[in-house]
Amino acid sequence: MSAAWPTLLPWLVVLPLAGAALVPIVAVGQPRRAGRFTLFVVLLTVVVAAGLVWHLSLTGPFSVSLGGWAAPYGIELRFDRFAAWTLPLAGLFAFVVPFAWRYLDGTLPPERWAVFYALLLLNLGGLLGFSVTADLFNLFVAMEVVSLSSYALVAVAGRGVAAWAALKYLLLGAVSSLLVLFAVGLLFTLTGSLNLLDVTIRLAAGGPSPAANLALASLTVAFMVKAALFPLHVWLPDAHAIAPSPVSAVLSGLVVKVGIVGLLRVLELAVGSGAPLEVFNQVLMLLGAIAIVMGAFLAIFQNDIKLMLAYSTISNIGYIVLGLGLASPFALIGGSVHVFNHALIKVTLFLAAGAIIHQTGFRTLSDLRGVARVMPQTSAAMAIGAVSIVGLPPTAGFVCKWYIALGAFEAGQGGYGFALVFGALFIFVYYVRMLNAFYFQQPVRPEVAAAREPPWSMRGPVLVLAALCLIMGILGGIPLTFVEPAVSDLLLSMGR
Amino acid sequence: MEVVDVRPLLAPLISFACAGLVFAMGRSVFWRRFWSLTAAAVKLLVVLSMLPGTLQGTVFVFDVVEFTPGVGIAFRADAYGMFFSLVSSTLWVLTTIYAIGYMQGDKDRVRFFGFFALCVSTTVGIAFAENLLTFFLFYETLTICTYPLVVHAETPQALRAGRIYLTYTLIGGGLALIGSVMTLNATGSLTLGQTGILSADLGTFTLVTIFVTLVVGFGVKAAIMPLHGWLPIAMVAPTPVSALLHAVAVVKVGAFGVTRVIYNVFGAELLQTLGYASYLGALAAFTILAASVMAIMQDQLKRRLAYSTVSQLSYILLAASLLTPLAALAATVHIANQAFAKIAMFFVVGAIGRVTGKTRVGELAGIGAVMPWTMAAFTIAALSFVGLPLFAGFATKWYLSLGALQADAWWFVVVMLVSSVLNAAYWFPIIHLAYFKTAETAAAGDDRAARDPAAEPRSLRREAPLTLLVPILICAAYVILLGTTAEVVGMPTSLAEVAVWQSFGLEAPAP
Repeated sequence: MSAAWPTLLPWLVVLPLAGAALVPIVAVGQPRRAGRFTLFVVLLTVVVAAGLVWHLSLTGPFSVSLGGWAAPYGIELRFDRFAAWTLPLAGLFAFVVPFAWRYLDGTLPPERWAVFYALLLLNLGGLLGFSVTADLFNLFVAMEVVSLSSYALVAVAGRGVAAWAALKYLLLGAVSSLLVLFAVGLLFTLTGSLNLLDVTIRLAAGGPSPAANLALASLTVAFMVKAALFPLHVWLPDAHAIAPSPVSAVLSGLVVKVGIVGLLRVLELAVGSGAPLEVFNQVLMLLGAIAIVMGAFLAIFQNDIKLMLAYSTISNIGYIVLGLGLASPFALIGGSVHVFNHALIKVTLFLAAGAIIHQTGFRTLSDLRGVARVMPQTSAAMAIGAVSIVGLPPTAGFVCKWYIALGAFEAGQGGYGFALVFGALFIFVYYVRMLNAFYFQQPVRPEVAAAREPPWSMRGPVLVLAALCLIMGILGGIPLTFVEPAVSDLLLSMGR
Repeated sequence: MEVVDVRPLLAPLISFACAGLVFAMGRSVFWRRFWSLTAAAVKLLVVLSMLPGTLQGTVFVFDVVEFTPGVGIAFRADAYGMFFSLVSSTLWVLTTIYAIGYMQGDKDRVRFFGFFALCVSTTVGIAFAENLLTFFLFYETLTICTYPLVVHAETPQALRAGRIYLTYTLIGGGLALIGSVMTLNATGSLTLGQTGILSADLGTFTLVTIFVTLVVGFGVKAAIMPLHGWLPIAMVAPTPVSALLHAVAVVKVGAFGVTRVIYNVFGAELLQTLGYASYLGALAAFTILAASVMAIMQDQLKRRLAYSTVSQLSYILLAASLLTPLAALAATVHIANQAFAKIAMFFVVGAIGRVTGKTRVGELAGIGAVMPWTMAAFTIAALSFVGLPLFAGFATKWYLSLGALQADAWWFVVVMLVSSVLNAAYWFPIIHLAYFKTAETAAAGDDRAARDPAAEPRSLRREAPLTLLVPILICAAYVILLGTTAEVVGMPTSLAEVAVWQSFGLEAPAP
């Protein structure tokens, strides 16, 4: 039985893409069916991903060639240990989609629901493809699928500001895409191959060369833009705050991780090439630490809860990048685990914030005072998410802070450990204001005082996610099953 | 001897379950009280059931889940942890009864009792923490769970107090996290089950950094000067919160943590050669005196109590930093001695506030006639703080003096004597006002006692309701018990003696 799972690997990508094409047909005349069909497709994808991860845990990494052409010539899909994150990735979509069902009432006209869900599935397909593709060109294609569907999802709300935010996102995204395309072309010219493993081997054989370094550097910068690493973050806050909340959750929790997975791929490519990895790591460490502090600092000045959540993404990307840059075993583990944990926390927060905004019609702290009185469950989820994103125990956010701080001392960079721990506290300044406003202040808006808990299709996902934020904090060891061997493989190839 | 037993996990879980039940069913007054009281009683029984084993030297251990390879969430009930958890479980029962009476008619009681139980749950988790990671997890959880209690009144003043509280404690928590991580990196272990895991060959820089981060990190909650700023401000919380959390749970957790760092992370032997503990001792001695002077200047009763707490906590730190068996014994027993006396005082102040509305020292003239039982308890607690024989506080001072002499540090004995005088200087005026003046004579500036005792109308008497009075009297009784006999129900001195050799690795003190 287990042996059959690898043949399903292509379906991991094909399912959501095919689903995206079918949504508008299914939804003809009955817009509500679009949402239900989308959830069905996502759940199928989750099943496939779960099977693949199960197979991975039994046999280790595996690959599948498409169209009968063996690598390095044909299209190859590879399911390595980092690809195990496709399971939580698809799993989180299974929370976002039912949340969107009722959220779209009043946010989007019914005739555009089908488009919305199709874009969401397209986005999922792109993300999954990006995670499992084994060649550079498909990496680029998947990235573009993710990016284009993201621009569209930001603009889907259709108002003036949304279009402007989407345009800003598009412009910076396009620059980064061009850089990737340029680097892919350069690497193909240098090595005559597009297969990632093959390119790695040929780069190593070719020895250090300025051209290869240029290609790797442009890939690095491009993925930094995608990850919204400070100071290349300017596109992120508006885009993530303006988009409808389910979209914000996907963009902030999952889409930025394209940049992180991309950086991991660059690291794999660069290992043998003789490229100056030291510089790469130094830059990542420094920018990561700055991002943690700056993201927290900028968040303090926000009054809009979604903008504040957007800025905290910048901080959290800083954690992950700092972990990658420190490049010690524990730091890499912490960074990689946080790719998933941050996704979980951020989706929780954006969905909870979305529920509050949807029920009350307000989105600033000063308007939302006292909302915990009328929406205690959603507010509790928001509070757990807030404690989690700051990295206080016993929540999911603490796990990565613990590992990365440990990794910082392991790498002999104790100063970054301090930056991490206290930068994280800095952001709590804002969240305390939020919790105070929600819990300990009297409502000023009659609409807030009259609001009620959202329907179960919205409340359920939020509550389950918040519970997961706690559970993943206490059972922080679970993701390690996959991350630890992956990191030790990576370190082995780096000769450490 | 180590025995695997689920009870060290069960104890915090009971309070945790209680919190869940209170949040779920707390809108009904009956169920809220039922679960709060039942959980408090059951937990005390669970902890007590481990006592006979602990006295015979048994250590109960339970590993829950692995977190980092080799380091996980694990519990270990040794004698020192047992002593602390006994104090906090006993006081939880008393405080719950008191809080039920005190909070009647107050708002948001579901939130109050829910977070109250969560705080107690984390305190026991800290007492039984097997390693620094578990300790830290509960330490930070305690910080978060106390916040809603501190800001309970929701006034701007309360919110400001909450902000200051979080600033101090979260920065402390961050330092403690760094210290823990450095310890793990340096030794590959975080266990608190040994008498010292660090070694001298780690280098001065690492050792100093670990000592400073851990001691400052935990010392913030122990309110050692100059890290005490949050404690007097946090007194805006409702009195049961001030009582249990700011006289017992939160602040004792800090002192407990520092003691663990000294004896279980560094170890007495290593610190003796390094000599860092003497700096801590000097700072603690300074805190004892300075906080007492500050206390004299406070007119708000709760603030005077708060500064007294700051001063008293440093007794524990001072005793722990002396590194001698008898001083360690003093550090252990003072956890109970200070807790019962201070909680009695807080209860009294709360009762006076609820019954008469008085919150300042100057308003207390004649209160001894109005609330005789309550003020009797207050007097007992005050005499204990001054350190009169037959009261709990004397036991601490006795062992601490002997311990200081063992360490050839006679000036600490002087510090204690001065501190006794200062304690008298801020408690006795209250007692004097309460008993030897009436509201009229005080107002008239007349020093004579009430003219004619027979003319004193009996109707003046307005004693606190029983839910407030009973816990007060039990605490006062404990203060006398702890001072007069070594074998007190629940927390015998022999347990503290076991802690000295078992948890601290010092020779058993000579009787």
